[in-house]
Amino acid sequence: MGRRLEEFLAGCRDEAPLQLGVIPFGMLYGIGALAVGMPVWLAQLTSMLVFAGAAQLVIVQMLGAAAGVLPIGLTAVLLNLRHMLYSASVAEHVRHLPRRWRVLLAYLLTDEAYAVAILRYARPTGPGPDLRHWYFLGCGLTLWGCWQLSTALGIAFGARIPPEWDIDFAVPLTFIALLTLLVKERAGQAAALVAALAVLALAALPYRLGLVLAIVLGLLAGAAVARRGEGGDERG
Amino acid sequence: MSVAELVAMLALVGALTFLFRYAMIGLFAGRTLPRWLHSLCRHIAPASFAALAASELFIHAGEVVFALTAPKPWAALVAAVVAWRSGNVLATIAVGMAALYLFKALL
Repeated sequence: MGRRLEEFLAGCRDEAPLQLGVIPFGMLYGIGALAVGMPVWLAQLTSMLVFAGAAQLVIVQMLGAAAGVLPIGLTAVLLNLRHMLYSASVAEHVRHLPRRWRVLLAYLLTDEAYAVAILRYARPTGPGPDLRHWYFLGCGLTLWGCWQLSTALGIAFGARIPPEWDIDFAVPLTFIALLTLLVKERAGQAAALVAALAVLALAALPYRLGLVLAIVLGLLAGAAVARRGEGGDERG
Repeated sequence: MSVAELVAMLALVGALTFLFRYAMIGLFAGRTLPRWLHSLCRHIAPASFAALAASELFIHAGEVVFALTAPKPWAALVAAVVAWRSGNVLATIAVGMAALYLFKALL
């Protein structure tokens, strides 16, 4: 087996368990989109255009609350701003690739694909050229396929799933699992803790602005703790 | 709003989302990230996931709800312990869902 295919399949394999959290999320979106009156074609097209679970669920939720087109768009854009920071985080690893690769990987850069791919970039590559972008592609395409499929499933069968199964609870469980994988040091713990507390403190803010602000506050807390840690090392 | 307005909004959100994702990979690919921005970026994932999880668990219709008899936070706590001990996403979700059904039956 070629090393490209090997990396690609390893990416697919490592991304696969996360789909247990992604599929209910996608189905939930598909169910909700139809419930708030989106045409079927548009519900599916949105999963391709926006391809961002949290933002799509917020869009559906706000459409259901009869919010205006401008506040909905603004909220979704604010929520997706975090992808710019993912972009910055992976940039050093994909900067050398041809443009078509960077466009493709940028399109596939979601929460769950980022979380798995960045862990691969944290491990050194084997001998020979760096083929870790194939791993990234495996992560991204696995997630993309599952997202489209689960949207379609939600549209097709969603209404028949009993709400008492609480399949949507798999969503926060996924975030919790990812958190423990990502948070290994004090600065990351501070970022997570401050963001979680801030989101509760800011819950009353309109348009889910509290979520975006809480994430920013978490980032600042993480950066502050990291800097203090560095300072300590220098003095010691 | 009309379907046309909705399509236009979704297309714009999609385009901007792609631009955010492509920004540092493509648009400013030649630039080195300032140190402070790099430091912030390292924590975007933990901060986002913590905020999203806390928001799902404790915020209902814009209000913070802490209830000792709410099964979801307890199930999340069990899941967090499993995640911390095992580092396994699949096990975390499986145990978390099982714990939810258990607490729903008990509480």
